[in-house]
Amino acid sequence: MSAVTKSTVTTAKPVTKMKSRSQGQEAWRRLKKNKGAMLGLAFLILLVVVAIISGYIFDYETDVIGINPAEKLQKPSAQHWFGTDNLGRDIFARVLYGSRYSLVIGVGSVFIGLVIGVLCGALAGYYGGMVDQVVMRINDMLYAVPNIMIAVVIVSLFGTSTFNLLLSLCVTVATAFTRIARASVMTIRQQEFVEAAYAMGLPTWKVIFKHILPNCLSPIIVQATLSIGTTIINASSLSFLGIGIPSPAPEWGAMLSEGRNFIRNSGYICVIPGLAIMFTVLALNLLGDGVRDALDPKLKK
Amino acid sequence: MSDLILDIQDLVVNYETDDGIVHAVNGLNLQLEKKKTLGLVGETGAGKTTTALSILNLVPNPPGVIRNGRIILDGEDVLQKSPKELQKMRGNDVAMIFQDPMTALNPVMTVGEQIAESILLHENVTQAEAFERAKEMLRQVGIPDSRAYDYPHQFSGGMRQRVVIAIALACNPKLLIADEPTTALDVTIQAQVLELMKELIRKYEMAVLLITHDLGVVAEVCDEVAVIYAGKVVEKGTADDIFNHTLHPYTEGLFNSMPNLKKKGEDLEPIKGMMPDPMNLPEGCAFAERCPYASDACLRVNPELRKVSDTHWVACRAYEDERFQLRRYQHA
Repeated sequence: MSAVTKSTVTTAKPVTKMKSRSQGQEAWRRLKKNKGAMLGLAFLILLVVVAIISGYIFDYETDVIGINPAEKLQKPSAQHWFGTDNLGRDIFARVLYGSRYSLVIGVGSVFIGLVIGVLCGALAGYYGGMVDQVVMRINDMLYAVPNIMIAVVIVSLFGTSTFNLLLSLCVTVATAFTRIARASVMTIRQQEFVEAAYAMGLPTWKVIFKHILPNCLSPIIVQATLSIGTTIINASSLSFLGIGIPSPAPEWGAMLSEGRNFIRNSGYICVIPGLAIMFTVLALNLLGDGVRDALDPKLKK
Repeated sequence: MSDLILDIQDLVVNYETDDGIVHAVNGLNLQLEKKKTLGLVGETGAGKTTTALSILNLVPNPPGVIRNGRIILDGEDVLQKSPKELQKMRGNDVAMIFQDPMTALNPVMTVGEQIAESILLHENVTQAEAFERAKEMLRQVGIPDSRAYDYPHQFSGGMRQRVVIAIALACNPKLLIADEPTTALDVTIQAQVLELMKELIRKYEMAVLLITHDLGVVAEVCDEVAVIYAGKVVEKGTADDIFNHTLHPYTEGLFNSMPNLKKKGEDLEPIKGMMPDPMNLPEGCAFAERCPYASDACLRVNPELRKVSDTHWVACRAYEDERFQLRRYQHA
C-alpha cells in the first residue's frame, strides 16, 4: 500500500473491537428484558401455531360447523372441554378454529392499511404543499367518520364477505398510518443525510425508500402491533352486528353474538370466545407497548 | 477546452418566501482550475453553502430559485442539465462533503453500505465488488476495513467525517465541494482530517472547493482564495495575495478579528455592525455601512471586481485612488 495510507492509518484512533449491532438487534435485546412483552409474544406464537394446526386436526364440515342436536348446550366436560353450543357444536374446536379468522383479518387488514397509509403519508410528508393538503384533507374526512359506519357502508354496498370485511377495516388502519408516516417523513426529510443522498446522485424514489422510510420504521412498527389488536376487536364487533364474516363460520364475535340468547343458563358460550378476543388483544397490546419501549428507550423515562 | 473545471458566471440565487425575497447570491463570479484548491471564505449567511448547492443544482426549490447565471462544470452548463443528467453528474463528477458528520450519515445503514451505494450507482459493478471497493476506501481514510459492517453511531465524530470523505471520494470525482468539513470537529481532529484531505487531494488530483469561515484552514490547504460578502465576491487571489497583500477592507476586518499570538492580551477588533439583511440589500457597496474607509460614493455605487495584478482582484471603490492603502500597511 502507498505511503499515504500508512501515514493516515497511524493518525486514526485506536479501534476497540466491539460487536457490531444494528438498531434491530439492540431493540430485540431490550425487548427480551420486558416480561409482559415476552408473555404477549409467547401467547401470540402459540396462537399462530394453533391457527395453523387447527386446520389439520379439525375437519371443518363435521367438527366446526357440523350440527349435532343430541349434544346441544352441554356443560364443559372431558369430552367437550369448553362445552357445546345450542346446535351441539364443540366450542373448543370452534374457538381454536376461529383464531384463523381473527389472525388473518387482523394481520391482513393492517398490512394492506400499512402499505396504503405509509405510501400516502410519505408522499404527503415529502412533497408537502398541495399534495399534502389533498392527501391529508381526504384523510381527515375518513378519520371523521366512525369506522363502524365506514364498514357498514362498504359491506352493504359490496355484500358480506371476508374480503369486503378486510377492505372496510383497512380504511381505518390506513388513516392512522398516513398520519404517522407523514409526521416522521417530514422530520427525517430535513436531515443532512437526505441532502447527502441527493448529492450522491440518487433519484427521488430511491431516497424516499432507502433513506427516509427506513428511518421512520420505529413508530410504524409500534402502530402496526397495536392496530392489529384494535382491528381484531373491530372485526369481532362487525361480526357481532352480523355484517362481518357470515355464519356459520366460527368467528369469535359471531360466536359471542349467537350465544347471547343462552347467556342465562349457558354463559360459557359467550364467555369463552370473549376471553379469546380479550387475551389475544391483551397479548398484542403488551407486545406493542414493549416494542415501543424497546425501539425508543428514551421515551420510557 | 480551457483548464477550468468550474466557471461560475453571474450567479444569482434568491429564496423567494411569503415574507419577501432573500437575495442569497448576487452576481457571483468564480473560476477554479483543474487540480487546484479554492477556498471560499465568508461569514455565516454570506451565501457560501447556497453557492455550493447551486453547483450541484440542489438548491431547495421552493423556496430557492436560481434566477440568473451559468455554472460551467467541465465544459457543460449544470443549470441546463436534465434531472437524469444531473443524477449522473452528482457523486460522479462532483461530490460534496457536508458540514456535520453527525447528521450526514444515514443511521440505519452500515458505513460500508453507504460508501458502496455511491459506487453501485455510478459504476457498472456487482454488489460484492462495490462493497470490496468500499472497504478499500475505508482503508484510504485510515479506518480498518473490518469496521465496514458497523453503523454510524458506533463511530466518533472525527471517524464519521472520514467516512463522509470516503463516500465523497468513492467515485473519484473531478470536483470535490467541502462545505465546512472541519467546523463541527474539535481542534485536534480538525488537524487530522485536514491532513488527510490534503493527502487525498494530492493523490486523486482533483479540484477542491473548500468552503469555510476559518482562515487558518484556508492558509493550510488552499492555493487560491475568494472572499465573499453578501453573496458577492469582494476579493480573490492566490493565498499569498490574500494573506500578505490584503486589499479589501472586509478581508482586513476578518484578519483583525482573529486572535493573534503576537498581540497576546490585546482586545480583538471585531468588524462593527452586522451583515445587511439579505431581504433588503443596500443600493451601493454591501459592506459600506461597516467599512472604516467608506465614502458617500460607496453608499450609492456597487463596486465591480477590478484587476490589481495577474492573480489578484478586488471589488472596492477606494482603489480608484492610487495612493489608497489599508491601515495594516500604512505604518509599515
